[in-house]
Amino acid sequence: MSKPSDLVQGTLDLLLLKILALQPMNGWAISQRLKQISGDILQVSDGSLYPALHKLEQEGWITAEWKQTENNRRAKFYSLTRLGRKQLESEAANWQRLSSAISHVVRLEEA
Amino acid sequence: MRPQHWLYTIPLRLRSLFRRRRVEQELNEELQFHLEQKIEEGIAKGLSPKEARYAAMRAMDGLEQRKEEIRDMRRIHWLTDFLDDARFGIRSLSRTPGLAAFVVITLALGIGMTSGTFSMMDALIFRPYPVPHPSGVMTLVSTTRDNNFDDFSYREYLDIRDKTKSYEGVIASADMEAVGFSAEPATAPRIRGGMMVSGNYFHVLGVEPQLGRGFREDEDQVSGRDAVVVLGPDFWKHEFASDPSVVGRTVRLNGTNFTVIGVAPETFPGMMIFGHPDLYMPLAMAPVFSTNPQKNFFEDRDDRELHLRARLKPGTTLQQAQNELAVLAQNFERDYPKVSRGRGAAIHTQFEMRTRTDDVNWKFGVIFVTLALAVLLVACTNVAGLLLSRGRARTREIAVRLAIGAGRFRLVRLLLTESLILACLGGLTGVVIGYGIVQWFQSFQNVIFMTDLPFAIPFRMDTRVLVASLALSLLSALVCGVAPALQSTRTDLVNGLKAADVDMPGRKRLWGRNMLVVAQVAASLMLLTASFLMVRGFQHGALEGTGFANDHLLMTSFDPRLMQYNAVQTKQFYKLLAERVRQAPGVQSEALTQNIPLGDDYFDGVAFVPEGFQMPRDRENFSSMMDTVNEGCFETMGIPILHGRGFLESDTAEAPRVAVVNEQFAKHYWPREDAVGKRIRLDSSASTPVEIVGVAQTIKYHLTTEKPTDFLYMPLAQHPIARMTLMLRSSSDPLQLVRSVKDVVRTLDSNMPMLETMSYEDFYLNKAVEGPRIAMKLVASMGAVGLLLAIAGLYGVVAYNVSRRTREIGIRIALGALRGDVLRLVMSKGILLVGMGTVIGLVMGFAVEQLMNSMLFNAGGVDILAYVIVVPSLFLVTIAAAYVPARRASRIAPTQALRYE
Repeated sequence: MSKPSDLVQGTLDLLLLKILALQPMNGWAISQRLKQISGDILQVSDGSLYPALHKLEQEGWITAEWKQTENNRRAKFYSLTRLGRKQLESEAANWQRLSSAISHVVRLEEA
Repeated sequence: MRPQHWLYTIPLRLRSLFRRRRVEQELNEELQFHLEQKIEEGIAKGLSPKEARYAAMRAMDGLEQRKEEIRDMRRIHWLTDFLDDARFGIRSLSRTPGLAAFVVITLALGIGMTSGTFSMMDALIFRPYPVPHPSGVMTLVSTTRDNNFDDFSYREYLDIRDKTKSYEGVIASADMEAVGFSAEPATAPRIRGGMMVSGNYFHVLGVEPQLGRGFREDEDQVSGRDAVVVLGPDFWKHEFASDPSVVGRTVRLNGTNFTVIGVAPETFPGMMIFGHPDLYMPLAMAPVFSTNPQKNFFEDRDDRELHLRARLKPGTTLQQAQNELAVLAQNFERDYPKVSRGRGAAIHTQFEMRTRTDDVNWKFGVIFVTLALAVLLVACTNVAGLLLSRGRARTREIAVRLAIGAGRFRLVRLLLTESLILACLGGLTGVVIGYGIVQWFQSFQNVIFMTDLPFAIPFRMDTRVLVASLALSLLSALVCGVAPALQSTRTDLVNGLKAADVDMPGRKRLWGRNMLVVAQVAASLMLLTASFLMVRGFQHGALEGTGFANDHLLMTSFDPRLMQYNAVQTKQFYKLLAERVRQAPGVQSEALTQNIPLGDDYFDGVAFVPEGFQMPRDRENFSSMMDTVNEGCFETMGIPILHGRGFLESDTAEAPRVAVVNEQFAKHYWPREDAVGKRIRLDSSASTPVEIVGVAQTIKYHLTTEKPTDFLYMPLAQHPIARMTLMLRSSSDPLQLVRSVKDVVRTLDSNMPMLETMSYEDFYLNKAVEGPRIAMKLVASMGAVGLLLAIAGLYGVVAYNVSRRTREIGIRIALGALRGDVLRLVMSKGILLVGMGTVIGLVMGFAVEQLMNSMLFNAGGVDILAYVIVVPSLFLVTIAAAYVPARRASRIAPTQALRYE
């Protein structure tokens, strides 16, 4: 139930880290951004977003701060830590290897 | 990477833990913000506010579950759950304060007894040497047929030190001896405890003096050249008020000037369990101190007065060292057959040395700890029984929890947390009780050590004992918590919800409870048997008597070596002393003896060959304990001469050598003949013969509980000894003689110290009566505590069983059962359990009796009286514990019983 549906295990972490690498954001904005950049292909329910964020925070990869939003509401903004940046690099590299390997295999079958 | 990681995570965890409310509030706010945004978005899309709200909540799929999930991410769950459990446990325990208090007290008694005796055991056995890397320090012993823990001579020490390769260093130390000490040359000497050690002693042990320096190795090479002394830490504090300028000062030891070169550190009270030396001197100064006057300390290979220790090289095994030592011992046998024949050598760890089977401390320690553990066992079973009953009373609560989804593991954890709280409270109180026991031991300091030398009781409540007690508390929490917790969470839900207190069908549950009763009865029977045996053993010893008259005796010791007397002067001193005190007013008779009976020092041993006795092929000689006495000894000490004569003034050094043996000795070697007139040869069959001129009654030599043992007396005139004890028989209070003895001594040498002057009867009462009485009190109180706990436990369990069967009993009575029938029904169960417990307890008690007999007492065989008294009384008590609830059950009116619950 809590696992992001249709998402490869661990990819949500990567997505979140990547999104936060661009700029600090609050949870709501992150959910909007996720929808926006992936179209409707990657579905992340609101319910699984927050546990994932808190997990990243407890790992020390992202850190949170209370700030004002554009329309003057208090919200919790997450940003990447130095540790998180390293983690993003290694996970991104992993993903590259994995996806290229998989697409390689898939192409083999077609030929 | 990891430490850097912690830098981020630790503050987060701490925040989750200590600012829980704040963190929760932030979580709510964060989610609330999201929901509000979502609702606004919904409204913008044209939904009604209500619909928008509903959609937002649904998108979360379960707000509370998400929150739980997020809380799990904080990874402090195990701790917060534990704190919740603890809080809940305290609340639910405080609802039954009586039960909680009883459990705590029960555990406290068990743990207190154990931690008290453990502090004793720790000091006697487990506490490591107070040196760096203590586990590398081994003890070397010389072994013979009769003695596996003999000492080495100076020559042997040098050979071992120089010819072995397994050690970083081999050190030697003599016994701690009385030393005449004066800070200024002019003042009269006082007695202090001095120990001669080898020059490498501090260096090899790794002990750095806190002031000045330790010995240099060259300070131990020339006999009598380097008069240097290192002070013990306590002595420095008390005698010199911790004055740092003491280094370099000159003090007088036994009339010789010594230079203080250093002070041993606070952390090093010495290598012995009880004795803490005031002064350390190099072995090369032996001529100034007490060595065997019959031998040459530096030359005679059979003058074995040194304890050897060695620090093993890293990487060398004990076995390698042992092999090397064995070869060396064989070489000794080959090169010096006269003094080393049949003599081996062995190496032991500290633990092996302290647990040697001939060590009385170890024996007492084992017995006490066994008994204390038995008390703890009774306490734990008692508590387990109580918790079991409590679990049953909570059947409904637990069933409800299970019904609304609590996991069984989670519930067991909750129940275990409760018993943990109980055990911790019990442990803390127990430590207080243990502390009391240690203090109680300490208060016997002066009773146990009636000597001028620096001995101290080493028992204390230190971190080691505290940690052990704490571990014990946790262990007992597990022991008495697990079974009840498992059992009470195995509830049948349907029945559990229906009634507050139901039984599972089947007998399994009763079986566990019955086992508890049986275990309790058995353990307490064992405890009682042990304490009874202890009391009887000492009584037996006391009834048998010591074999000599211990009243109206004054004792005082002299050591002319303290005043630098030579052999001739010493002989003259004792001759004149005996002659003159005999004339002193109030003195009936006098005696000089090397050792007093039942004293703290060991008697010398003597090796001999009885003439006309067929020696076994494989042995060179026999050995026996011996004492050197003057001609007044047998009369003054009231030791009857059974045949022949005692010593006479005519038994001078020039006269033929004579000896007196005790009856045991005579029977041992000449069972069918008169020993008087027989001859023995000392050491080997080649030496001068000694004629046995008398047979004395066998007395108690070391302990009032000892078995009859061989003993031999030699006359002082033919066997000169330096340190002797003067015993005076008086017609009135012996202490009144002190003044006249002092006057006599002053006519001989005004500076001669009188050591350990006291009434022998006082000494005897302390040593032989008071000491055992302490041990007896301890064991008896353990027995009493064990029995009380067992009775309370038995009563509780039987009463509980009865109350549980109230309805059944009501039905029986309603159907026409008589009171007697009910009584019989309830009682028979109790009696069966007590019977089983008694049988097991008897077997265990018998085993303990064997152990105690073999260890402490001479009484062989079974002490029937102990069982005749203990068994029926325990049986009666436990039956009474079953009777009271049974009677109450039989008096219940059926109407009431049927309405019960």
